[in-house]
Amino acid sequence: MKENTALEHVGSGADHLDPFFTRRGFVKVSGAFVASMAALGLLPETAAAAPANSKGKVDFYATPSHVLKVNRARCTGCQRCEMSCTLKNDGASQPAAARIHVNDGFYYGSELGSGDGIFYSMEWNVRTCHMCKTALCQTACPYGAIRTEENGVRDVDPEKCVGCGTCVAACPWHMPVVNTVTGKSTKCIACGRCADQCPNGAIELVKWENVNHSSGPTRQENPLPLVSEQQDFIAGGKLA
Amino acid sequence: MADISYGWAGYIARVNLSTGSITEESDAELQKDYIGGMGFANKIMYDEVPAGTDWMDEENKAVLAVGPLTGAGVPLAGRSTWATLSTFTTDHLVVDCHCGGQLGAKLKFSGHDGLIIEGKAPKPVYINIDDDKITIEDASALWGKGTRETTEALCKKHGLDCCVAAIGPAGENLLPYACVINSRSHSAGAGLGAVLGSKNVKAVVVRGTKAVNVADPQMVADLSDYMIAQVLGSNNNHVVPSTQQSWAEYYDKGSRWTARKGLYWAAAEGGPIETGEPKPFEPNTMGYRCMKATKDLGPEAEKYTVKMAGCHGCPVRCYAQVKHPTVLEKTGYESMGNTCVPNFPFSSYMQSMMKVPGTAAEDGKLTEQAVVYNLLIQATVDDLGLWCNYAQLYRDIAHTYVDGILERELGDQFAEYGFDQIMAGDGTPFIKILTDIASNDTKNKPISWIGHGPEVWTKQWNDEGWFDDNRSQLINYRGWPVHHSIECFGQVGGLYNMLFNRDDMIHSAVNFQGCGLPIELKQEMGKEMWGEGSVDPDKNYTPINEAKVEFAWWSVITDVLHDSLTLCNWVWPMAMAPAKERSYRGDLDLEAQFYTAVTGHKVTIDELYKAAERIMTLQRAATVRGMRDKDGKVGCNDMRGVHDVITEWVFTKDPDIEALTPGTDKMDREDWKKSLTLLYKRFGWDEKLGCPTRRCLEDLNLKDVADDLDKLGLLGKDGAGYDDRTRTYDRILEKYCGDNPALDA
Repeated sequence: MKENTALEHVGSGADHLDPFFTRRGFVKVSGAFVASMAALGLLPETAAAAPANSKGKVDFYATPSHVLKVNRARCTGCQRCEMSCTLKNDGASQPAAARIHVNDGFYYGSELGSGDGIFYSMEWNVRTCHMCKTALCQTACPYGAIRTEENGVRDVDPEKCVGCGTCVAACPWHMPVVNTVTGKSTKCIACGRCADQCPNGAIELVKWENVNHSSGPTRQENPLPLVSEQQDFIAGGKLA
Repeated sequence: MADISYGWAGYIARVNLSTGSITEESDAELQKDYIGGMGFANKIMYDEVPAGTDWMDEENKAVLAVGPLTGAGVPLAGRSTWATLSTFTTDHLVVDCHCGGQLGAKLKFSGHDGLIIEGKAPKPVYINIDDDKITIEDASALWGKGTRETTEALCKKHGLDCCVAAIGPAGENLLPYACVINSRSHSAGAGLGAVLGSKNVKAVVVRGTKAVNVADPQMVADLSDYMIAQVLGSNNNHVVPSTQQSWAEYYDKGSRWTARKGLYWAAAEGGPIETGEPKPFEPNTMGYRCMKATKDLGPEAEKYTVKMAGCHGCPVRCYAQVKHPTVLEKTGYESMGNTCVPNFPFSSYMQSMMKVPGTAAEDGKLTEQAVVYNLLIQATVDDLGLWCNYAQLYRDIAHTYVDGILERELGDQFAEYGFDQIMAGDGTPFIKILTDIASNDTKNKPISWIGHGPEVWTKQWNDEGWFDDNRSQLINYRGWPVHHSIECFGQVGGLYNMLFNRDDMIHSAVNFQGCGLPIELKQEMGKEMWGEGSVDPDKNYTPINEAKVEFAWWSVITDVLHDSLTLCNWVWPMAMAPAKERSYRGDLDLEAQFYTAVTGHKVTIDELYKAAERIMTLQRAATVRGMRDKDGKVGCNDMRGVHDVITEWVFTKDPDIEALTPGTDKMDREDWKKSLTLLYKRFGWDEKLGCPTRRCLEDLNLKDVADDLDKLGLLGKDGAGYDDRTRTYDRILEKYCGDNPALDA
């Protein structure tokens, strides 16, 4: 039989800066430069709309060193990734604040009616940071609280973060999470602890590549009708 | 909150359905002595539910609790324990109902170590826990619905990240065999569903976004990595593969380490995924070791297998996830799969009596028909919230059918149940049989008597001899069946089957029995852990000795400890390991090391064992307080004569072979009496009566319980002192555990 190679992460086209900026690392530029770039059509509108980060400088275009790749068919839903992530990065076990998300789709997939989750297809999404070169979480932050680290990965400066959730809204995949205990946002820093702990090798920390265009299902093409719209209990009690 | 609470959330929620009052209370005072989970739940039941209460009374409570390790990142810490009064065993005494899935972890993440449900709601309700916010909500629109639809409706309303633990029609109808289902297929049994039904509680919904604080997160990570790399095996901690593999010194066909080259999750999205040959020291293949779909359902199930899954936080993925077109067509449900009885109800418990043609091939391998029969039953019982009393439901259906009892008792209705159809290869009638049992309409659908348990139906149908028939596998006259009994190390398994008010749910011994290592090695390992002569080969037992009693005591204590911490006793304790590099020895200190790393309180395994002994003895005291004597009076301390009575068939089976000789697991009456005496002694209980004594209660810091029993005239006499009866387990396997990161800490 042919080995399974399914990958998720459906492309959004968010990274159309790739051909323009090819060097690794990051470039600090002024808000005015961003505005002029946007006017030339070289930057997304979202970037131009948020020009005043990092005290007038915008950190972006950096190529992160690593990214997580996932294969949801291999995920068995143990959620050790979420606990391992927060144990390492927050010093506590708190799946709801993890930088990787499994638990919210475990039952029904991305939404009720997606045909996914343990109640239907038994597939669910393993949602991870895409490590965008144009990190909209970063450009959107009104407090300049999302930094670019030496390895090109963005992380949250808890001193500056006020937990407003703008980054969550700005991310096309809503990957950052505002921790309900600390009131601070968190995002993936590509530490790889989740992948270390995955019992099924469903997550891999790899050298950066653009995962936005990797293809793979994130829901069922023809989901079954919801049982809550079909029956009271097993076969509606009518069978046999 | 002034101080950070590590491990424990620090609070238990109390919901009174009669008054509508919702409060939270600190559990700080309970933590050290009662740990959590079973310990918390039993302490609360002992303190708050008076002796003589019936399970349906408003005064009965249902207490859900988790422990310090739940959701803390410790491997296999995704379980939870409820305690309530039994609905189906004699005198309706306190029982524990265990479940995995997501419920325990979500409860902890909501900031609670427990939930006490008390009183009775005037109309159907559900309890909604959303972190700190707890409300009682109207469930009238959900009443009458199955667990799947209930879960879906509540997730739709409260969020897809909520865990819903729901009762189905069985619980609403107050059927004694009713359970609570969370996460599609994770069941808390022992009649808990009927108790919630009697309180008009349809479901508990939990959403948790908070943190479990951990005192030493690096140590939790390091211990987890060490354990997963070299100590942990597969499901039931089987530590050798089931087929010969080049990397493995041993293999054993009974092992649940069933992965092999050429065996696939064949229905995986994107193409088949090979289970392959996962090995020790490969943390990222751990989740492939247990291919449970084909292990339970037979080779035909491979093509329906999507993947495995299981409980929160567990790297051993023991839950089959299968989809089958026939089952979808007949039930409306796409996803199936389990790891326990509902994965093999027909093939393991009914077929031996019913002998339905076409279920197994000539070589014994299960057929497609077996897959469909098993899955049809599974889909039905989990949606109905129908519990099986550890397979007794299925043995009783098969027996009452093949021996003509149903035909005799059901009259014209008998034909409606379609047993002819079942015998002819169509399992569809099981849906009606099980749905009618769940109706609890004993007047109009008398087949539902079976769902009251054998203690009731055998009297109703004049079949009390069933207890003495070894096909019944009933091990105690109070109404529960074997849960790894005399076939598991003879007296050892027999003893621990007596102690609770339901089947024991102990796996410490059976895991060791089935782990796949050769008997000579197991005997050597047994000598190190419990003493020389503790471990006998299957069906070749020697008379009872102190080492075997130590093994039985340890099996009870580790189970109670895990149900309190809460860890999965279906895999823990780590008595053996798959790594040859450590001579296959496990690591008995891990529970204590994890406890220390999570809570910041340094303990040894002996201290934890002592706490577990306290919890076991407390439940024993509750039983003494509530049990009726031979005259029907509440309060009886003759545990030996009234409670711990093993069924007759264990002494009469294999009539041509003498007990305690090769070829049988038959027990000998005198040896059995002595076995009980030695076990009572090991626990410090009255050696004649088997009840707690003042000395043992005070040794365990349970003076108030001793005073209670004293007032009632129910205390036992004498009892061995704690130090005289206790061995040390601390670091006994240390020389094999050189890589353990906590040893130098």
